[in-house]
Formats: sequence, C-alpha cells, structure tokens
Amino acid sequence: MKNANPNLSAQIREGFGHMFQIWLREFQLIFSDVGVMILIFAVPLVYPVLYSFIYYPEVVRDLPVAVVDLSKSSESRKFIRGLNATPDLYIQSQPCSMEEAIRLFKKRDIRGIVQIPETFSNDIALKRQTTISAYADMEFFLYYKALVTGVSFVTLETGHQIQVSNLMQEGISMHQAEIIAEPLKLVDNPMANPSGGFASYGIPAALILIIQQTLIIAIGIMAGTARERHTFGTLVPLDRRRMGTLRLVSGKSAAYFTIYALLCVYMLGLIPKWFGYSRSADFIELLALITPFLLSSIFFGLTLSVLFKNRESSMMLYLFSSIPLLFLSGIIWPLSNFSPLWLLVREVFPSSNAMFGYIKMNSLGASIFETRKEIMSLWIQTGVYFLTACFVYRYQVQFSQTLRKNLAHLPFREIRRQFANR
Amino acid sequence: MTSRSLYFLVVLVFPLLGILFFSSLMKQGVPTRMPIGIVDLDQTATSRKIARNIDVTPLSKVTMSLQSENEAMSQLRTGNIYGFVILPENLQADLMASRQPVISYYYQNGFLIAGGLMQNDLTLILHTLSGGINIQKREAMGQSKDFILSQVQPMQLNTHLLFNPVSNYSIYITSIILPIMLQIFILLMTVYSIGIEIRERTSHEWLHTADKSIFIALTGKLLPYTILFFTVMMFQNFMLYKVMQIPVHTSIGWLMFISFIFVLAYQAIGVFCIGLLPMMRHSLNLSAFYGILALTLCGFSFPVESMPAVFQYWADGFPVRHYMHIFQSQILADFGLSYALFSYLSLLLFLLLPFTIIRRLKSALIYQNFIENMHKT
Repeated sequence: MKNANPNLSAQIREGFGHMFQIWLREFQLIFSDVGVMILIFAVPLVYPVLYSFIYYPEVVRDLPVAVVDLSKSSESRKFIRGLNATPDLYIQSQPCSMEEAIRLFKKRDIRGIVQIPETFSNDIALKRQTTISAYADMEFFLYYKALVTGVSFVTLETGHQIQVSNLMQEGISMHQAEIIAEPLKLVDNPMANPSGGFASYGIPAALILIIQQTLIIAIGIMAGTARERHTFGTLVPLDRRRMGTLRLVSGKSAAYFTIYALLCVYMLGLIPKWFGYSRSADFIELLALITPFLLSSIFFGLTLSVLFKNRESSMMLYLFSSIPLLFLSGIIWPLSNFSPLWLLVREVFPSSNAMFGYIKMNSLGASIFETRKEIMSLWIQTGVYFLTACFVYRYQVQFSQTLRKNLAHLPFREIRRQFANR
Repeated sequence: MTSRSLYFLVVLVFPLLGILFFSSLMKQGVPTRMPIGIVDLDQTATSRKIARNIDVTPLSKVTMSLQSENEAMSQLRTGNIYGFVILPENLQADLMASRQPVISYYYQNGFLIAGGLMQNDLTLILHTLSGGINIQKREAMGQSKDFILSQVQPMQLNTHLLFNPVSNYSIYITSIILPIMLQIFILLMTVYSIGIEIRERTSHEWLHTADKSIFIALTGKLLPYTILFFTVMMFQNFMLYKVMQIPVHTSIGWLMFISFIFVLAYQAIGVFCIGLLPMMRHSLNLSAFYGILALTLCGFSFPVESMPAVFQYWADGFPVRHYMHIFQSQILADFGLSYALFSYLSLLLFLLLPFTIIRRLKSALIYQNFIENMHKT
C-alpha cells in the first residue's frame, strides 16, 4: 500500500469492507446477466438429471444375438436355453447358416453370433473337447462385454457339469469329482461399482467436470463482458476508486464460491441420493476435497479470464476442453499408461485430481488420508493459481491506473476523440 | 473489434492440438502392465509359485506384495494398484488334502476400461492355475495326457472379432472422439461468425455486399470455414488411417465426401441455432449444450439401443451418430453402401435445416432487433 496507514486495524477493516462491496457487485453482475445465469444455474441443474435418465438402464441387458445351431440335438437345445436364461443375452433368431447370421448382423438386427458345432452332441458323448464360437464386434465395448460375459458363463457352467458327470461315470463320488474339477474356489470381488453400471462410471466424473467448466466459462464471460462494457476495454473499471488487487481477487472469488458451494450441495449431495449412486464419502470428506477444488477452479478461472477479450471468447476457446479433460483425469485410460508429458499436463487442471479423488472417496470409500495426494495437489493448485490471479489482476489494475492518469490531464475533447477511435 | 487470434485458435490450433492429444494419449491401443498387488498369507512353495504365475500376463504387473487384506484394500483405495489377489493361509496344505481352498481377488471397478480388463485378466489367470492343478491331480490318477486335456476343459469358447479384427481401444475411441470435438468447433464458429455481424450491427453492410440475398451472404460467409474445417477433417483422417493405421475400406473420394457432408451438416445446424435465437449469447449457449450432448447421445459410450426410448429418437438428431454408423459399417467393416444408406440420407437431411429459419434470420439481419443492450460505464 502506498500511503502507509499507521492504523493497521482500520486498514484491514477498510480492506474487508471493499472486498464485501466487490463481492456484492459481482453478485449483482452475475444475477443481472441471463446468459451467465443459464450457464451457472441451468446447466448444473439440468445436465446431471438428463445424464441420469439417459444412462438409467445402467447396463446392457438382453443383447439380441443369433445362434447358429449346427448340431440340432437335445444337448445343443439345452445350451441355447442356458444362453437365453442369462440376463446379458436374448436369442433373437436361430438362422440355419453363418451367412444368414452375418446378413442379420450387417442389418444390425443382431449384435453377436454364437455358433454350436455340428459335432457338439457327439463330442460330449465321446468325451471329446468341443468348441463353441462367439462372434462379436468391438465397435461397442458394452456389447462385446455382454456377449463374452454371457457366453463364457454358460460355457464354463456346462463344461463343469460335463466334467463332473464324466468323473462320476468313472466311479468317483460327486464330492470328489467336484473337487477335482474345481481344486480352487475363486471368488470375484469387483470394488466401487459392483454391478458395473454405466451411470456409476460416468456420472460422478461428469458432475465434477461440469462444476469446473461452467465456473471457468462463466468467469471468462464476466471478464469479457466487463472489457466490452468498459470504455477503453480495460478489465478493471477506470472510474472507480482504486481497489487493491487482493480485495478484487478475494471479493470476486467469494461471490463464485458461495454460489458454487450451494450448487455442490445439489450436485454432489442430492443427485447421488435421488438416483442411487454410491455415496461412501461423508460430509467432512467431501468438504476436504471439494473446498480446494472450488478454490483452485475459481483462481484458475480468474487467471485465464484476463485472456478473454470478448464476451464469447471463453465459451469459444474453453468448451471443447471438456472432452480431453475427461480423458486426462485417468478414469477412462489408466494413469499407469500415461506418458510423462500427459501426466504433467494433467496436473494443470483442477478437474483431473478432483474427478479421480471424488470417485475414490465416493465409490471406493477412500478416507481423507488415502486421498491425500489428490487433496494436496488441489491445495498446491489453489496456491499457485491464487498467486497468478493476483499477479494478472495487479497488472490489470495498474494498467487501468496508468491509463486513467494519462487521460486525467487531457481536455475532454481529446478523451472523446480517443474514445471514438477505440 | 474481434480479435483475429480467436478465429485462428478455434479453426486451426485447438482442433489440431485435439487430434495430436488423442492420437498420442492411447497410442498403446490396450493398457499394459497395470499395477496389482498380492497378499500371500501362506508363504509356501505353492503360494510363491502361484504368485509368480500371476505376474506373467502382459496386462498386469505385480508391483506390491502386501501383508494383509486391509493393507491391500487401502492401497487399492489410494489408487496405487488396480487389483489384488489373496492367497489364503494353509493354501498348500488344503490343496494337498483336497479341501478346495478359496482364492479371492479384488479389483477397482470404478473405471470402465481398467475394471473390465482387470476382471478378465485375473479371472483368466486364476482359472488357468486351477486347471493346472486339476491336470496334476489327474496325472497322479494315471490318466493319459491327451485324455486329460479334453476332460479338464470339455467345452471351449473361441471368441472372434467380426469384420474389424483389431482389439484396440484407441481405434474405437479416437475415431469417434475426434469428430465429436470437431463438431463443437464447427458449431460454435458458425454461430459466432454470423452472430457477431448482428451484435456489432454490421449485418446491413454484410447483406448489402451480397446484393441483399441471404443465400449469397451465408454462402460467402461460411464457405471459407467449410474449406478450413474440411481440411482439418482430412488431416484428422490422415492421422487416423495413415498414422494410426486404422483399416479403411473406402476410397479417398468417399472419405472426402463423408467429411464434406459432415462439415456441411454441422454448419447447417449452426445456422439453424443462430436463426432460431439471433441473440448470440443465447444461440452460443444452445449450440454448446447440443454439441456437448453429442458425446453421450451418439451412443459411443453407452449404446443408444439400451437407452430409454425417448433418447433413442433424440439420438437421431446428431449428425455425429450417423457419421459413426457410416464409419463402423462402411469404412471399418466394409459392409457395402446399402447398409449405410439411411445414415447418408439422414446426414443430407440436416442440410435442409437452415431453410426453416432463413426468413427469421434475414429479418434479424435487417432489423437488428436482437441486440443486447449494454451500458457503457
């Protein structure tokens, strides 16, 4: 501060007073702007509900498949009944040949083909190995998964029964036969999302991403609009009393923080409750993760906002990043397979660690201590982006000051001329 | 009063960065050596042999050997490992005495690809191990080798991939994600380039230059972007089919045609947005909402046929969905044109969209009655 005030407490009080003024003014600006209101209220309110309805079925059930039964025996018919009984598959048709099945596949009437060989019943009778063929398409990952899951389940089950009955024919007791056929009992424990529901994969990540993206775009729109509104295109108004950088940054941040804290209650509290997504994290744990996430996103947004010259710039330049950010978080492509470059880029955006941490806490039940890496990174980002936000705003404040000083001693006509030339 | 750099960034720099990002991020195709842990509570020769066998598949790599289930679970929650296997106490003794010991395995299923791969990998390894023990027992019973093999697995499953023989995630993800990114740029740029004329009140001059014909005005305005975005899309095709070597079964002419109508379809939708809501801030919001939704509704992440019926109809309103079908059936699988005909027709149908609002757009250009008021301070 230039005029060193001997009374420090008065200065601090004045500082908070100004911060509060800026806070209220930012509120005023946000609430009087329909475009921004739609972005920060309608989008976070509507998208989670919309996504939840779209993904409501969660998993692929009753995938339509064709069975080409070349054996036409009682064994093969029993096998087909087994396939139809699985939740994954639905036998849509039983064409006579592979050619016919492939034609149906091309027409997209069916999404997979199972072929039972001609020798099926003979193989079983003669205690030979028999081979079932499944034809799938990788184009839809979930279709592929449903077909393979369904067919391999029935194949393993049937194989097991055949093995046990063969052993029993050799005079071994059923109990002994079971143990020979299955010397180890294997217990499969999927964590975090036991049913493998798609909404449970996607929605938690989407919620966090929506928070960051709408925040940054909204802050950018506000900054772009300020530049358009202000004569001479400055970010900080010329005609107001000098506002300290710190007051400006903290006042603006406080406005966004209060709005988004309330939105988080809805997005991270009510939405998971209404739609039944896993909610392992308690309030304190979420608070520990979301506080640095919101702060770092706001400061990141404020830092970037000086780049946006027009109202539209932030939407134009930032919207597309949602898609790469989804992949950078490490929830789609595993982090262990990231190159060092992308691991570094990942650390630039608050959403990466927040999405990863949120899924860990909420789906896997990780504690604050187990999420420490993500929380620490978010606090580091908060610190760094707070400094950069202060730095760029300080430059903007000084720029406005200099401009005002230069204009102050010019005659009115000259100012008007410069204004017209802008 | 608009910065030139904005156009440059949106039309060229960001689309190209996006293409480079996606072609490099998943260049391995399938994740390898994902870290897993082993909890060996038995510590015998048998359990150590099993632990070594678990390490051999390329998909996973044992990076941690842990003391207890709690410790392993904590490492899984922390994210250091994607899964773990527990070898119980008395494993060796129980195996010898035919007491069917229980081996539990846990994996992180909160992530789609990692979860699915871990499940397949661990299930496969452990079943193979179990089969191996089965074989040893039968050998001890004096059965012949050939006989054993047919008995241990009396029914075998062979999985074949139809038409597109590559099991490579990056192909299926990148080939669809890139057009989804590009459509966002095309939409926003179309809305912006027209909207800015209305907002800056320069629409009179623009219309005047075009002899007051809205068709000439729109064509003149959008044609440069058509060419630029078409070039970007051809570069994208080059990266997909030449650099990443995705199999392609159509000629370059077809690829050019598909890319061309893809760009045009999205420009048409952009014109529709700005015609419907000539105030740019609203039409930008609208096109952003629509553009982002394509990621979900094109049916690439979650199949459209499994969505509730309402959304199945809605999904047809996204050109990228039809593009995806053409890519999968004509380009990748070589099904022949007739199977993709409906998708071509749908794409062409989007080109009629601007005609529904053309009069509204023209009147907005003439009367400039959609300008947001802004108080200079």
